[in-house]
Amino acid sequence: MKVTVVTRSGKELFKGGLELSDSATVADLQEEIHKRSKKFYPSRQRLTLPVQPGSKEKAVVLTSKKSLKDYYSGNSNNLTVVFKDLGPQVEYRTLFFFENCAYYWSFAALMSYYVNHPLYTPVSDLQMKIGFGFGIINQIANFYCHILLRNLRSPDGSGGYQIPRGFLFNIVTCANYTTEIYQWLGFNIATQTVAGYLFAVVAASIMTNWALVKHRRLKKLFDGKDGRPKYPRRWVILPPFL
Amino acid sequence: MAGSLSLLRRLYLSLYNWVVFIGWFQVLYLAVKTLLESGHEEVYNAVERPLQFAQSAAFLEILHGLVGLVRSPITATLPQISSRLFLIWGILWSFPEVQSHVLVSSLVISWSITEIIRYSFYGMKESLGFSPSWLQWLRYSTFILLYPIGISSEVGLTYLALPHIKSSEKYCIRMPNTWNFSLEYFNVAVIAIAFYIPGSPHLYWYMLGQRKKVLAKSKAE
Repeated sequence: MKVTVVTRSGKELFKGGLELSDSATVADLQEEIHKRSKKFYPSRQRLTLPVQPGSKEKAVVLTSKKSLKDYYSGNSNNLTVVFKDLGPQVEYRTLFFFENCAYYWSFAALMSYYVNHPLYTPVSDLQMKIGFGFGIINQIANFYCHILLRNLRSPDGSGGYQIPRGFLFNIVTCANYTTEIYQWLGFNIATQTVAGYLFAVVAASIMTNWALVKHRRLKKLFDGKDGRPKYPRRWVILPPFL
Repeated sequence: MAGSLSLLRRLYLSLYNWVVFIGWFQVLYLAVKTLLESGHEEVYNAVERPLQFAQSAAFLEILHGLVGLVRSPITATLPQISSRLFLIWGILWSFPEVQSHVLVSSLVISWSITEIIRYSFYGMKESLGFSPSWLQWLRYSTFILLYPIGISSEVGLTYLALPHIKSSEKYCIRMPNTWNFSLEYFNVAVIAIAFYIPGSPHLYWYMLGQRKKVLAKSKAE
């Protein structure tokens, strides 16, 4: 079949269109476009079906897994798609990694400056032991939480959500964050720096934000209808506060 | 019930905006009068109290945004108010050595003109339900000149205060202490100046965009 690729202003991107097999997928189309124009690698392409001028409908975006046949009404062997260049793409993962590193390393530098300072004033031996003891218990608990979470993933990697069960997850939705918060509390009781407590407050608020989102998502997904289980009542992250 | 709540909100916000408007009007009046009669060295002394009152009241605007009384996002108001309060309390009030500088006059005059326009704009909107187009034009045009003047004065005064900050050791916290914390106010001031480098063009650009949007809309009406 012939595919005509136009820009949003109506101009044809490739004179005469592209020739693809009838069973081709959108991914094949994206590859063909990339072949004809090296600059536009697939993740940079946004392909939509043309909308009637004046129509208030949102354009239908072509998803790469589907076959091209799904997108045209089939009366001629010609499909027209609208092309938009999304610009250079950085993978979300890369960006997340950068921000994550900067956040951790900056706070680590700030905290260690004070803990390792020549004029650092340690707390009493007993307080230090209680703090680290409490911290280590929560660290082990945290590790176990992550094992439980990992085991929730289905073996074929098909994604999708499950209701977490077992251990502290029977009481708290995001038990992994809970144990991490208490772990940092223990660390701070042992080391006692303003910088350390500041980090713990920031980390706790970020995790609380994530926990609220996760909790809401799970509750929405597991609403008890259509044979899905209903999400049981649980604390979100820090009983008895939230 | 909902009707009387929204009426209460309008009354409160009208009162707030007009009271602060009067405060800033006082600042401008005293600043210009003192500048003309006694010279720039005396301006700070003349405006100190009304300036501190009018600017510190703006702290309430953070609360207004937080409780949803107004629509402005606190991400926009917080940096603006922080820099103002930093200048007024952290630099001018704390380090008298810079109070006699001419930049105090440019600071206070550019701030007060901007605020007079802004508070009367919002005051009219809350009490009358609309604000005249000439006032809207002023609000979205005077910043073009006043922002650079104000920002240069802010950065200038902070920079002039630096040697005094360093030598006085004011607001500094030294180690050792039980909470293992230290503060070097000099570094705080330097970081504050550094924030102006990306912050000012961003704010200016944002206001230019707002101007285009608002004035185009009013032209179409």
